[in-house]
Amino acid sequence: MTAPATPAPVLDVWNLTTSFRIEGTWYPAVRGISFALAPNETLALVGESGCGKSMTALSILGLVPTANGRVEADGIMFEGRDLARLSDEEMREVRGNGISMIFQEPMTSLNPVLTIGFQVTEALIYHQNLSRAEAEREALALLDLVKIPSAKSRFREYPHQFSGGMRQRVMIAMALACRPKVILADEPTTALDVTIQAQILALLNELKAETGMSMIFITHNLGVVAALADRVAVMYAGDIVEIASVGELFARPTHPYTEALLRSIPRSDRDTAELHTIPGAVPPIHRMPKGCRFAARCPLAQDICRAMDPPLEPLDPESPHAVRCWVRGGHDLAALTEDANV
Amino acid sequence: MLRFTARRLLFAVPTLLAVMTMVFVLVRIVPGDPAQTILGDQASAEALQIMRERLGLDRPIWEQYLEFMGGVFTGDWGQSMVTGKPVLDEILRVLPYTVELTIASLVIGSLIGIPLGAWSALHRNQWIDYLTRVGSLLGLSFPAFVSAILLLIAFSIQLRWFPVISGGGRATFSEWALSLALPAINLGLIMAAYITRVTRSSMLGSLGEDYIRTARAKGVPMRVIVWRHAMRNALIPVVTVVGLYLGILIGNSVLTEIVFNRPGLGKLIVGALGQRDYTLLQGLMVIYTFVIVVVNLMTDLTYGLIDPRVKYQ
Repeated sequence: MTAPATPAPVLDVWNLTTSFRIEGTWYPAVRGISFALAPNETLALVGESGCGKSMTALSILGLVPTANGRVEADGIMFEGRDLARLSDEEMREVRGNGISMIFQEPMTSLNPVLTIGFQVTEALIYHQNLSRAEAEREALALLDLVKIPSAKSRFREYPHQFSGGMRQRVMIAMALACRPKVILADEPTTALDVTIQAQILALLNELKAETGMSMIFITHNLGVVAALADRVAVMYAGDIVEIASVGELFARPTHPYTEALLRSIPRSDRDTAELHTIPGAVPPIHRMPKGCRFAARCPLAQDICRAMDPPLEPLDPESPHAVRCWVRGGHDLAALTEDANV
Repeated sequence: MLRFTARRLLFAVPTLLAVMTMVFVLVRIVPGDPAQTILGDQASAEALQIMRERLGLDRPIWEQYLEFMGGVFTGDWGQSMVTGKPVLDEILRVLPYTVELTIASLVIGSLIGIPLGAWSALHRNQWIDYLTRVGSLLGLSFPAFVSAILLLIAFSIQLRWFPVISGGGRATFSEWALSLALPAINLGLIMAAYITRVTRSSMLGSLGEDYIRTARAKGVPMRVIVWRHAMRNALIPVVTVVGLYLGILIGNSVLTEIVFNRPGLGKLIVGALGQRDYTLLQGLMVIYTFVIVVVNLMTDLTYGLIDPRVKYQ
């Protein structure tokens, strides 16, 4: 059996680095990550707070604050263009049109003084050259699509008259407005009740199947990953430490950090009161250790881990499963240690 | 909203009564005798007595009080103790001057202050921002009468663009506009300094909000983000400051009125104070209180226009 031909990716990120300036020195929050997103694929970015997963999404859309932030990449290829090299105006045309984003906080992400209808209509007016009436008709259809009950009568209402779940539906309608190729969903369900979470996830899945769009889904919730993702990239301290298809990752977690993450999911199906945690914390951006950044928290850490940064390499040449680890990555440790000592 | 307005105006009545009582007492506590002021140092005791009777100052204090309070509500605000003309006429004669000056300086202040504040916020910690902040600090710390004299020297005496002694002539439109221009610019610039500072800090707040990021992620043009998404959210503190400042302005315009030789409430009240013109002072205080109440009400109603979350009940 041959492997299915890989279709051309919709979004191809090469060596993306996002840095922030703290007291005059630049520190990377995202360190040279690369990944490709296939058509109609959902790629989950998973990791603890501060691992750079949201920053990755903001960097793709060019929304990193320019006052003290900087995005560098060998390429962020989308529809044959390099997003990292577009002008502000060209980038504005991509945002909300080719690529759109859903944010974490539905309570604060909508403008409190503008009507729901206006906020959904807006993207259509700026990108699709629709007249006001056409845009409003389209916006109404979108609100119906995301299953907002009696959308027509609520069109002129304000965000404070909507519940959290309904607001997130409005956010999704806004993101879908121009039929984007890619949606960046930054923890879209984190702020919601569990039942509402399930509804929003089902809705996103349904819309993805209907429209054929691709999605980068950012979350720290591995349960959500299992339900939604095709592929998973685990991030730690600005690096992708492991990337694999969702089945492979859950079946064969290889990086010690991925393993620890999977172990720390609270289980209700087992009779135990014990909750596994990962000791320690992500090192602060301006005090990153030399070598592997997870070494200080890693039960398997060797001398080499503290001396040299491991590369992200496939487990075997054919495999799409790649890991950034000296110990687990199939490296010849003895030879490496010798090299390091020379 | 109509019911809210009506109720707020109704609540103003006790405020007005309290202020009137305080004014009545205060003007009589202030040392000095109106009869003496009118007739001068050389007046005989007899003449003073006749004058006091004519002014009604010989009657018991509660009688004077009741007459004053009753008069206010029936439209009879008494006669000025100095000129003998009805108080209401004296006030209504100068009120348009004060109102037009206040509105003109509010317009100038907003037209300069709001864009400048927004601009400053957008260029935070760049030289534009520093320049604006220094400029507005200068505007805040500059005494109105000094700037008034400087404007007069520069534009009326050196450049001769405006009349030196305007006197508030209003025979033709150009005469009216020319006489209003400099005083309004003088007060407007100070107001602009206030508005710039509040707009800047308030815009910095709203530009940092999540919904601005959402708007950018939608691909909304920057110009629309600033004026439609951020500014409307930033306006509430601006309106508050404008409201407070309008109240202050009505009293504080006196020095500007003197320098530019304009009639106005400020000048009237200083004159009345100097001459112990009790009745005129009382009338002026009623007007002031009323103006403050109306300005506050308008501020509250404006909040509702800006922010749909504001509810009137």
